[in-house]
Amino acid sequence: MTISTAAVGRSIPRLEARAKVTGRAEYVHNLSVPGMLVAKVYRSTLAHARIRGIDVSAARALPGVHAVYTGEDIRRVIAEPYYGPAFHDQPILALDKVHYAGEPVAVVLAADAHVAEAATRLIEAQYDELPAVYDEVEAMTSKAVVHEVLKPAGTFADLKHLKDKRDTNIALDFHLRRGDVEQAFAAADHVFEHTFRTQQVLHVPLEAFATVAIPAGEHKTGTLTLHSSTQSPSFVRIEIARLFGWPENKVRVIVPYLGGGFGAKVYVKSEALAAACAMLARRPVKFACTMEEQFYMITKHATTLRIKSGVTRDGKITARECEVWWNGGAYADIGPRVTQKSGFTAAGPYEIDNVKIDSYALYTNLPAAGALRGFGIPQLVWAYESHTDMIARGINIDPLEIRRKNLLREGRPQATGTLMHDAALDLVLERLATRMQWSQPLDRGTETVRRGRGMAIGFKASISPTTSMAIVNINADGSCNLYSSTVDMGQGSDTAMAQMVSEVTGVPVEKITVVHPDTDVTPYDMATLGSRSTYHMGHAVKNAAEDARDKLFSLARELGLSAETTPIPDIFKKKYGMQAGNIVGVGSFIPPYISPDANGQTTDATPFWMIGATGAEVEVDTETGEFKVTRLVNLVDVGKAINPAIVETQISGATIMQLGFTLTEAMNFDAGQVTNASLADYKIPGIRDIPPAMENEAVDANQRSGPFGAKGVGESGTFGVSPAIANAIDDAVGVRLTSLPLTAEAVYRALRVKAGKPLIDN
Amino acid sequence: MSPFELDEPRTLRKAVALLDAGTACDEPVRAIAGGTALMLMMKAGVFEPARLVSLRRVEKRYAAVRVNREGALHIGAMATLSSLASSAAVKRAAPVITQTLRTLSNVRVRNVATLGGHLAHADPHMDLPPLLTALGAEVRTLSPAGERTLAVGDLYRGYFETVLADNELISEVTVPPLDGWRAAYLKVTTRAADDWPTLGIAVALQMTADTVAAARIVVSAATNTPLRLTAAEDVLRGATLDAATLARCGDAAASGVELAADAHGSSAYKRELLRVYVQRALRQIEKT
Repeated sequence: MTISTAAVGRSIPRLEARAKVTGRAEYVHNLSVPGMLVAKVYRSTLAHARIRGIDVSAARALPGVHAVYTGEDIRRVIAEPYYGPAFHDQPILALDKVHYAGEPVAVVLAADAHVAEAATRLIEAQYDELPAVYDEVEAMTSKAVVHEVLKPAGTFADLKHLKDKRDTNIALDFHLRRGDVEQAFAAADHVFEHTFRTQQVLHVPLEAFATVAIPAGEHKTGTLTLHSSTQSPSFVRIEIARLFGWPENKVRVIVPYLGGGFGAKVYVKSEALAAACAMLARRPVKFACTMEEQFYMITKHATTLRIKSGVTRDGKITARECEVWWNGGAYADIGPRVTQKSGFTAAGPYEIDNVKIDSYALYTNLPAAGALRGFGIPQLVWAYESHTDMIARGINIDPLEIRRKNLLREGRPQATGTLMHDAALDLVLERLATRMQWSQPLDRGTETVRRGRGMAIGFKASISPTTSMAIVNINADGSCNLYSSTVDMGQGSDTAMAQMVSEVTGVPVEKITVVHPDTDVTPYDMATLGSRSTYHMGHAVKNAAEDARDKLFSLARELGLSAETTPIPDIFKKKYGMQAGNIVGVGSFIPPYISPDANGQTTDATPFWMIGATGAEVEVDTETGEFKVTRLVNLVDVGKAINPAIVETQISGATIMQLGFTLTEAMNFDAGQVTNASLADYKIPGIRDIPPAMENEAVDANQRSGPFGAKGVGESGTFGVSPAIANAIDDAVGVRLTSLPLTAEAVYRALRVKAGKPLIDN
Repeated sequence: MSPFELDEPRTLRKAVALLDAGTACDEPVRAIAGGTALMLMMKAGVFEPARLVSLRRVEKRYAAVRVNREGALHIGAMATLSSLASSAAVKRAAPVITQTLRTLSNVRVRNVATLGGHLAHADPHMDLPPLLTALGAEVRTLSPAGERTLAVGDLYRGYFETVLADNELISEVTVPPLDGWRAAYLKVTTRAADDWPTLGIAVALQMTADTVAAARIVVSAATNTPLRLTAAEDVLRGATLDAATLARCGDAAASGVELAADAHGSSAYKRELLRVYVQRALRQIEKT
């Protein structure tokens, strides 16, 4: 067997690039099958109301309509039609109550999508409106209760105590206690306390949610195939099987490429409705959301964060207290996990002896919030890194110096008590300072165009523990198939995984096919989320490749051949007399993890730490408050890069996404109804919004526990963007913004307040 | 989107006749040129036509662009915005239009949207209505009653509303010779760079040496229709463009108008933007 040159660490072009740019890549959105019906959804117009009746007669009577279903119809195929990863709280179609404006209330099936859509406009629901709650802090004590009874799914141990709890909107409370903050505040030279807010935003993958559900055979003995734009095929299979009361193997989930995911397409999204409709109609059913409907599917948590620090005269942080309220919307989705996992790091990447963290997941009457590129971390970094600069200004210390003074170093305990290992915080910070030329004075601009700069650094614990499995199949001609349920949604995982197989087996990358997720074919994987695939699936793939290689070598030796030098086809030919047979290697991986105790303490909070820092330079127009981000410098620790070119696009992609959440993106609401549910009015950044100078660097680091020294990269670029820009604005014009998004008007109003002439609204 | 009938008449006269026939029997009928705005309304279910009369195949001369002997710019209503953006005639006769088109919507829209549709849609966020108003441009229209000519400044009745009849189509736009007029248009965006304007501010000045002989100042996007700011114009007439005049002009502009609050900004903030950007537009003219 001939070993090719090393595959890992090279910027190999993406395997799918040609298929994508020539329009040949497959997406569920384009899928059509014979006999297929299209589902269109009728949604609630009220944020919180009891359903008095739903009149679907006119819709049913419209020529071309195959069927109209309401929540009660769903019960004919699923007795308890509630789903969700943390709580079984989300009905496939509303039952009894609607919990947010935009909730699916009824569905129309027709062969013609236009007919189905027209029929939804003929449906009428009568409601008794209920008091609603929208604000996450109010939700803590509000009389308006979104769900009368809490129904934890049972999968998470730390949610069990919430079972059957009544009249509360709190879907999880996480607490961390370390040292004694009260005593430390009393002893501190300075105490700073600030409150920050972030707005509700959403993922906006260019491909919206889409599922084609195809039933086969009889209801009791048949099967259901779902072609779906999901990041979590294994979870979807298990959850859909649970809903129908079936064994896993009766549900098959097939996933081609995704046109973006960003955490939107994890757990069950479009699948349950498509599946239920297909089983009711006994026909293939496609449910594909429009771009506008994405605004009612899943979003990113709005948050309120209060942070208080005790500091010595020379800038050492001695105590920190954080309270975080996560606006989870009407359904918990994975929000309780966001609340807990991000709670681990809410105090920031600093060594602080006394820490108190309280983090609350809250139900409100808004579209549900879940995971979005960073899993809560960008909200926290926004608060703690704005706070860091406010402290630095307050005690007149350079922003770089205060970070250097407090940064968590190798081997030191983080707030959970877990010791930091292979977390290149210091290197990332120093490389950022060097690239920003922090020690050099900055050109401050003119009287009306002021320049400033800012920095921010954040970190994240991986979601743990989670499982990945992989199969590597070496064919008789020396080509190779990798079976993995990791979903390539644009992040380049196919290429990275093929590089790992190549590195181990010596099979060149171009001779490796990555078989896309198909739960009848590819083995279990927890999901493609939280930057976990490179590390977790990477380990499983590496193990499977090593298993295959070892089996191949022992077969060669059995046959009296040199394992290292015999070409693979010759080994098979000698064994089977012709081009025949396979070698199948299997691999699995689950990292060690120890659940935190009641005080949030654990010696093993995460298999690896993700580090991201951003430096920003801005120009502020003092006459209008308008500002430009003229330069963004992004530094991350990804361990060793499997594919440096893909790593760079992940950093820049994450940064630009967070730039949108920082500057232009916000879901606007009126009485719980989204008022800007379109891309004309919800502004994601365009090419002209990208800073003229963008620099991305993965520092020279090594994750010793990772496959080939690597770890995840998908989210790290998001961490520092928002606070770096706010810090730069403050540096330029001396005003501090504490709410996202950072708008020109907010800067202008702050400038007027600073000048003693607040802008008066009329 | 619901199905509809599509007519593609070969002449503008025939198109008008089809609209007239549809209007007469109360059929939801509408002319469609580039369709960039109409298709969005149809997709959203806001407008469900039974029949669309496409203007795509009408006589080619309705897409022509030419400058006549006197220097007036004649633009066929079916000229696409991108054809205007790259037109040497437009750049020669009214370079401010070429400038404005660079940030007007995006390249995909400009490639199909037409000048006639852009004006007739009467969306107050459009960039050319305020500019063409400031330039003193006129539209020629065709209806069963015949042709008529009216100033772009008189075209708008209200929010998404023109004075045109349902069976009346814009056939041509004429921009008069500049004759010493100089103009600027500033599109002010406050969210993403590619966005509807928060304010559109068009200024045209006729200068005699250093003195302003005549001025037109028009604001749009936060008003129901493009709006002349006559108080601000009065400040300029007979004055030189010194800093104090500019400041007085900005103040007059800001105090003389009601600006609607929306997701782009509050009313109070937009007033401050108007105050600043009117002066910036004037300074830009001074530099040209």
